[in-house]
Parts: sequence; C-alpha cells; structure tokens
Amino acid sequence: MSAGISKVGIISCSGEAIPEGTISRLATRRVLELLRPEATVTLCLPLFLAGNEAERNFAKTHPTITIDGCDKLCAKWGTEEHSGPVHSSLVVADILGTKAAGCQRSSGNASRPDQEAVWAVAERIAAEVDTILSETESPDGAAAVASGAQCSCAGPVPGGTLTIEGATVRIPGLALIFGQCAERSIPADAGGCGALLDAVRIYHRIAPEEEAGYRGALLAAYQDFRIGVQPAK
Amino acid sequence: MGNTSTQSPVLVIPCSGIGKVHGLMSREATYLVTDECAAGRTDTLCLALLVKGDPDAVAAVRSHACITIDGCAKACAEKNVAMAGGRVARAVQVAEAFKNHRGAKPGNATALTDDGWVIAREIAASVACEAASLSDAGEVIR
Repeated sequence: MSAGISKVGIISCSGEAIPEGTISRLATRRVLELLRPEATVTLCLPLFLAGNEAERNFAKTHPTITIDGCDKLCAKWGTEEHSGPVHSSLVVADILGTKAAGCQRSSGNASRPDQEAVWAVAERIAAEVDTILSETESPDGAAAVASGAQCSCAGPVPGGTLTIEGATVRIPGLALIFGQCAERSIPADAGGCGALLDAVRIYHRIAPEEEAGYRGALLAAYQDFRIGVQPAK
Repeated sequence: MGNTSTQSPVLVIPCSGIGKVHGLMSREATYLVTDECAAGRTDTLCLALLVKGDPDAVAAVRSHACITIDGCAKACAEKNVAMAGGRVARAVQVAEAFKNHRGAKPGNATALTDDGWVIAREIAASVACEAASLSDAGEVIR
C-alpha cells in the first residue's frame, strides 16, 4: 500500500431485523479486532446521515468494503449515496447460502452455527481486504495509515508470541485462534498440525520456507493451550 | 421485522453502533424488548433501511410510535428516525443507564459480560414499560 493511503474501510449493514445483520456486524468486528486489525477501520452506517463532514467523506478517504445482510444492500446503497463509491460489496446471504437459516439475531443466543457463520463471513471479508491491499501495495510495502473519520474500535486485540528458530514472533489474537481451533475439534497432535497452520495463516503471514518452524512452535503452544496455558504475550 | 408491519404497535429502533459496547447494548436491549419483555406489542426494523430511504421503512416509522435506543451522543437512531419523518416517542441513551452502575464492566462491542446483560435488561424493562404506556394511550398509529 502506498504511503499515505487510508486503511481499508468496512461498513456493515445494521440489519437489526435479521440474523444475517448480526452476522454481518460480528464478522466486521472480527476482522477489525483479529484478522486485519492494522489495516482496517469502520464507521457506523447511520453516521453518513447523522454525522459530520469527515464521517460523510469516509468512503472517499478509504477504499471501502460494504457487508450487507440481505439483497436490499442498504450498506452499499447508503455508502454510495451519502459518502462515496465502494470498492467491493459482499452479501452475507450469498456467502453463507442456507447456512444462516439456523442463526439468531441476538448474540446472547449464539450457538455453534452462529459462530461458524461469523467466521466464514469474516474470512471472506479478510480475503477482500487482502485483495485491496495487494492492488495498492507499494514496492516498499509501506503500512496502511489512518485518515479521516473512524470509530474507536480499530485497535488490535492482544496477541501471543512464539519463538521460532530463535526469533520471537507475535501473532495477533493467538489465543482466540487457538480457541477457534479447539471449537473445531482440531487435535493437539501431529494430525492437527496442518489445520492449525492453515488457521493461523489466515491471520498471520507465513512464508513457505517458514512453515516447518511454525509447525513445531504452533503445535507446542496449542498443546499448552488445550491444557489451560495461555500463549505468552 | 415486519419492516412494513402495521400489526406491531411500537417500533423499537437501536442505533447501529459497531465501535463500542454501548452499540451492542442498544441492540441486545432491543431484542430483549421485542422478543421477551414486550413480544407481540413491539417490533424493530433495520436502521440502515432508513439510511437507504426505503419507502416501506419510512412509512413504518411515520405510522408507528418509535422508541429509539442510542449508544452514544451522536444519536444516530433518533436523528435518522426524525429525518425520515417519524415520531420519536422516547429517545433512550444507553449511557444514562450506567448512572446506577458505576464501575460496571459491560463487555466490548462484540460480547456483553454479565454486567452488560444486567444493564441491557434494565434498559429493556424501561422501554417495554414505555411501549405499554404508548399502546394503552392509543398513540400507536398517528
């Protein structure tokens, strides 16, 4: 990403009336907190009408992805009408198909299908963020920077550290990733190593030549996690 | 919803707050009202539909009494309902509910703690009471 370009903006529909709206919101949060915390920012959609000029300029100052719960596309339409053109438009119903059928509106009633739906949508959003970043990345790989309006929710979640071939590596949200792996019943042995690596790779870049080192370190940390030992911070 | 329902007497509309716990509290308080405390006499609709200017959503807020629940002082729900020509019978601010819960740790924008749910339930109870008053007073349809 070239120096000075904004972080990628993610605008979720509010979708209070349908479970897909809650999925949209929680998936957006997951990208902001865990998957791409350094590269993304969000804004409440209604602020385009109720907010100030900086907030209305959000889509003009950030390459923006909209996440809509249904085919009414309120987030996309509202963003383009009141702020600026969007780079990408995702629809939860398109991503999940019939999988959202058993999901709930309230997070208080969330069950495994809800959690899996949120992860699936979050990973799709993260992939879209990566696409935008790859399109705008500068040769020197300058980091995304913030500009204009943003919510105060863009701070990264605490990470975990691993020692890989003598070097200390920080992985954002490592404990959360391990928690998700445990929920998916990924075993804490050699048989689960590939799935573990794949899960971490979604949130943290691992070069092919680094895989061997990561495998051992991740498996050891995951085994500790499964017996209640949190990753080192 | 029922974004166009005329059978749900009072519309409870939360803000879409996605940045802080207060937005989640407004959302969960709304569900507690519409699904538990005042199920059948209240309903909700997507605030984003009003941002979009959806004709059915606009008609709904114009023909039903509305209670808005906002997470912050920017009052997106209240302002957007008013801009759509709706009548805000009561505007609730989540922050007000914290006055009786000094030091509470309600959670974050993704999940509520037990403290958060307690406060959300208090807000819901208050809103359900207001909805009942509006219904009983016949202020539902203008």
